[in-house]
Amino acid sequence: MSDQPDFRELVGEELTPEEELELARVDAMLRAAGPPPAEIPGSLTRAVERIGAPRIWTRRRVVLAVALAAALAAVFFGIGRWTGNDSTHYRAAVQMQPTGRSPNASALIKLGEREPSGNWKLELQVDGLPPLSGDHYYVLWLAKDGKYAATCGSFKVQGHTVVDMNASYRLSDYDAWVISEARANAPWLLTARI
Amino acid sequence: MPVAMATAESDSRLIERVGRGDRDAFEQLYRRFARPVLAMAVRQLGDHGRAEDAAQETFAAVWRSARSYRSERGSASAWLYAVARHAIIDRARQRREQAAEIPDEASADAGPDQRAEESWLTWRVHAALEQLPERERAVIELAYWSGLSQAEIASYLDVPLGTVKTRTRTGLARLSGLLDEVRE
Repeated sequence: MSDQPDFRELVGEELTPEEELELARVDAMLRAAGPPPAEIPGSLTRAVERIGAPRIWTRRRVVLAVALAAALAAVFFGIGRWTGNDSTHYRAAVQMQPTGRSPNASALIKLGEREPSGNWKLELQVDGLPPLSGDHYYVLWLAKDGKYAATCGSFKVQGHTVVDMNASYRLSDYDAWVISEARANAPWLLTARI
Repeated sequence: MPVAMATAESDSRLIERVGRGDRDAFEQLYRRFARPVLAMAVRQLGDHGRAEDAAQETFAAVWRSARSYRSERGSASAWLYAVARHAIIDRARQRREQAAEIPDEASADAGPDQRAEESWLTWRVHAALEQLPERERAVIELAYWSGLSQAEIASYLDVPLGTVKTRTRTGLARLSGLLDEVRE
C-alpha cells in the first residue's frame, strides 16, 4: 500500500484538461518536496529567541547547571528508591482508533496523575502492530491541528506490548495522540482525540 | 520569480531592520521562514535533531549577517535560502568528517547538483504552503504526509468529506498560482 494519496481521489473527476495539468504539476512538486517539519520544535523557538539577547548562559555556567541538575536528580532518585514509592495511579484511559493503514491494531493509553515536577506518567498498551526490524521503531506523539507537535517516546512491539512513557507538556495544548513509525512521511497508524 | 515575491518588499525591509539589531523584525522573519528552513534541513540531513541545529544556525547567521544584505542584488527569499543552504551543508560536512570508515561502494545518495535542486524545490513548496489559508494547508499536509485517506481526514478534522475535497482542490489550485510565481 502506498503512503502517498491517489491524485484522482484528491482532485475528483470534473476537471478540464488544463486544470488537471496544472494540479498534476503541483501534486508532483508536493510529492517531491517531502513532508514539512509540521510544528516548529519549542527548543528551536527558544534558541532563536535567545539569539541577539544578552549572553547569560556561558559554557561554564551551563556545565555548572548541568552538574547541579544531575546531583539533584541523583539525590531525589535515591530518595524515591529508598522510600519505595513507585506505584502509579491512573486517572484516565484513552482508547486509540486504528486508521486504514493498521485496521487490526489497537492501543490504550493509561494516563497517570500529573506529578509536581510537571510530568505525566503514561502507560501505553499496544496490540496488532507488526514488529519492526533493525533500527526501526514506533513513536507515540502529540499532534496539534493535524501536525506533529511533541513526542512521548519510542517503542518496539512483540505481540501485546506494554510500555511506560512520559509527557512533560500541557496536554491541553494539543488535540490528538498519534502512533506512527519513526520516520519521515510515515503514515498514521492509530489516533485518539485528546 | 522567487516565491516570496508577493511579500518580497516586506521581507527585504524585515532583513534590513534585523541588520539594525531590531529583535521584533527578527522574530517576524523567524515566524515567516522557520518552516521552510526546517523542511529543507530535514529533507537534506534526514535527521530532525541535526536539522534543528542547522535551522538554529541559519537564523543565528541571519542575525549576524543581515547588515550585509543588499536588496538590489536579489530577493530576500533567495538570500535567506542561500544562508540556510550554507548552514545545512556545514552540518552535513561535520557529519561526514565524523565518519571514521570509508565505504567500500559508491554512495547511492544524490549528488550535489541533485541535492541543490531538491533543496530549492523543498524551499519553494514549503514557502508557498506557508501562504495558504490554514484550513487549506491542513488538508493538503494531512493528505500528502500523514497517510490518512480523505474520509479519515474528514473524521479527524470533524468536517464533512465534501468540505475536505473542496479545500484540497482549492488549496492545490491556489498553490499552483503561488508556485507559478516561482518559475524562473
